[in-house]
Amino acid sequence: MAAGIVMNNFSLKQGHCLELKGLIPKDAKSFAINLGKDSSNYVLHFNPRFDHQGDNKKIICNSKEENCWGKEQRETAFPFQQGAETSICFEYQADHLKVKLSDGQEFTFPIRMPLDTITFLCMDGIELKSFSLH
Amino acid sequence: MSEQFELVNLELKRGESLKIKGALSGNAKNFSFNLGKSATDIGLHFNPRLHENTIVCNSKRSNNWESEQRSGHMCFTPGAEAKISIKFNGDNFEVKLPDGHEITFPNRHGYDKMTYLSVKGDFKVKSFKYE
Repeated sequence: MAAGIVMNNFSLKQGHCLELKGLIPKDAKSFAINLGKDSSNYVLHFNPRFDHQGDNKKIICNSKEENCWGKEQRETAFPFQQGAETSICFEYQADHLKVKLSDGQEFTFPIRMPLDTITFLCMDGIELKSFSLH
Repeated sequence: MSEQFELVNLELKRGESLKIKGALSGNAKNFSFNLGKSATDIGLHFNPRLHENTIVCNSKRSNNWESEQRSGHMCFTPGAEAKISIKFNGDNFEVKLPDGHEITFPNRHGYDKMTYLSVKGDFKVKSFKYE
């Protein structure tokens, strides 16, 4: 995966949503969106895999604290297409993040480390088209 | 001033635009958008100074500022939302202000694409979009 966009010092507060639109490359095997404090601390690692490390059309979610990965959570919702744009909404709540996918499917991922505001985003294997805080 | 909003590994090519929407703080005096290769090599520094009724544009090469271009047009209001569009034409940057007024600034370093953006000062980014 090519080095993707890194964004610092924005402000996603609890009760608010971050909507991202991106273009998935035609030859994508997987892509990742990471939200948190910095590159060592992710509240959410969101990693859809088309065909990667034995996973076929699954979303792998995890957290990372001081560079230590937590326990993976697998989701079977998979409304992604190689070569197409997708839109994903992340709603930040006190104890979970709600992820809303482009086809309306939703799931939640627990907040494992307390963080008042999400200020860091990095993306790999997907081209960012828009970013919007609500 | 809060810590700066920063975006790296962006890819803004010739002919593409970046639309940025945000809110000015209630006592906003000054903010800047910096577009280029890094914090020390900037093709466009776009800096509205509300208290001076001036927009200053400049570029930075190896951390040295170059010559300023000033415009007396001011259309930013403290506390208000603002939408700014920056088009990268190759030869120059075209900045479209919320009231439709345009400011152009030359691409002095001949960059073929922009990979870095920072927003400093009294402007809080709410959204942005590539086109």
